[in-house]
Amino acid sequence: MKALEISGMSFSYNSPADKLTSGGIEYALHNFSMSVDKGNIHALLGPNGAGKTTLMKIVTGVLRGYSGEFFVLGNRMPDNTALTSIGCAPQAISLYMPLTALENLHFFGVMANLSDEQISERSDYVLAQTGLTDHAKKLVSAYSGGMQRRLNLAVALLHSPKLLLLDEPTVGVDPQSRHHIYETLIKLNSSGITILLSTHIMEEAARLCSNVTLLDTGKTIFDGSMSAIENLEKFFLEKTGRGLRDN
Amino acid sequence: MIIKRQLKEIVKKEMLIMLRDKQTILLLFFMPLALIFFMTLAFKGLYADKIYEKQIPTVIENESNSPKANLLEKKILLNKLIKRVELPPDMDKDRIFEYGEAQVLVVIPKGFEEGTKPVELYFDPVFDTGYKIAVRSMMTGLTVEVVMGIENIDAIVGNLITEKTKKEMDVPSPLQLTVPAYAIFAMFFIAIPMSIGFLKEKNDGTLQRLFTYCVNPNVIALGKIIPYYIINIIQFVLMLFIGAFIAPYVLGIPFQMGTHVWHLIPVTLVVAAATTGFGVLIATLARTLEQTSTLAATGAILMGALGGIMVPHFVMSHAMQKLAMISPIFWAHQSYLDVFLRNAEFSTILPKLAVLSLFALACFYIAGRRVKWM
Repeated sequence: MKALEISGMSFSYNSPADKLTSGGIEYALHNFSMSVDKGNIHALLGPNGAGKTTLMKIVTGVLRGYSGEFFVLGNRMPDNTALTSIGCAPQAISLYMPLTALENLHFFGVMANLSDEQISERSDYVLAQTGLTDHAKKLVSAYSGGMQRRLNLAVALLHSPKLLLLDEPTVGVDPQSRHHIYETLIKLNSSGITILLSTHIMEEAARLCSNVTLLDTGKTIFDGSMSAIENLEKFFLEKTGRGLRDN
Repeated sequence: MIIKRQLKEIVKKEMLIMLRDKQTILLLFFMPLALIFFMTLAFKGLYADKIYEKQIPTVIENESNSPKANLLEKKILLNKLIKRVELPPDMDKDRIFEYGEAQVLVVIPKGFEEGTKPVELYFDPVFDTGYKIAVRSMMTGLTVEVVMGIENIDAIVGNLITEKTKKEMDVPSPLQLTVPAYAIFAMFFIAIPMSIGFLKEKNDGTLQRLFTYCVNPNVIALGKIIPYYIINIIQFVLMLFIGAFIAPYVLGIPFQMGTHVWHLIPVTLVVAAATTGFGVLIATLARTLEQTSTLAATGAILMGALGGIMVPHFVMSHAMQKLAMISPIFWAHQSYLDVFLRNAEFSTILPKLAVLSLFALACFYIAGRRVKWM
């Protein structure tokens, strides 16, 4: 069974009226398809503005109004039960800075409908996984960038998801924290969690992922095994071009 | 059950975030308290008893020095309204008010006793009209006494006109206006932290997380509105407590609660709904954090200026008094004044509360139409 299967997905931030006023609709995703095998770490690569974050938002139920279809663990989406099997660490630090790590975990645990006992047990586990046990009672605003990134990941793991969506999980962190995050992801994957990893760090994708989907201007450029690619960065530039993506 | 637990947790989270933000606490509680104290002191003169509560620095030039002129000068000096000030002999009389030492100049000219020349009054151009009328009235009375040889004109006039206003209703204390005014003003400022909170969650991905957990968007919205509504009510209770029980002792200015104190409950509940509605509206109108602060602060200040917070409504021109009615702060302020000063029946306050309720509903409706979380 596929952990995630997307076929013919299109999405635009433009309203239908824009078609008339600006002469056409600009698509963030256009007839996009990909699939993620269960138990894999799958890289989602693409230049800035390629549509990676849009895709994450659609899969996590934040954006609606797309065409095409997608399935999570065999369930046609949108499906609330299947949605709860997704863990998500957005690109931004999606935490409440004035709260402590434990308060954040308790809040998101209640939102995920975990019992108080489950929250307590899972909080201890995810804090240990991310190396934050000793800092559990500190305000997140007092955390370093790397600690915040790790807590961002810890919250995504709190409700024991089967599919983990990570949008640039190591951006802005030091090599130590980055290394710790890699180790954690490998451990999680070996425990059976499927991971879709969106990143700009080619070395990261090459090191962790068995499969890769390359996305540009909302379309699939490449979808296949990482082992078929000798030099990922070179391959990426060949496929997407060397021109700057400032728009 | 799940919804109730989630709602409780969102409310708790919002409260914690708010209470840990020192700037928000300063903005919502200390700013209005400071304004109540400072503005009460500033307005003290405006609401003071024009006859007994202030002495006006006055220069008296007696050019006549006749017995009648001296008697008039003596009577003026005995009046409680007047405080004589002497200016240096070389000072230019035409520029007397430029130095800021005197506000009134009284000249008793030669020929005054023959009735050929009138007593001359000069006022500082920025002198309050109320005081001007009081000085003019006092001078008229004293001059008539001296010229006509009457001992006390008030005793004679007292048989013709007498004032029967209840003593406690005599002059409204500035506290009566500033306490509700700045409490309402502060309540409208809730729009700033409220809209910033909404926008931050939208931008930083925490909302994205909540949707992954299938939290109902209405629960999220309600969970964010309830704490701000509660804070609004706490704000008013605190302002009222300080205004009614502490400020009178500190400032020496009385505060009366009115005869129908229970009317404060429905009035405050409705005003808090209007202020929270305004906050939600700003949260959905603004696209950036800068916009939220600008829209919320400018909106609150404009509504406050129009609604009689900065300049009392009765001081405004007729056109401005009419224009004030477009500001929800006007209706909120008048509702409180109905309770505190006018001892109004609930039926009198009800139409004002209906206007505020409509404003709140309109804000919530527009915000609901604009919200684009999904």
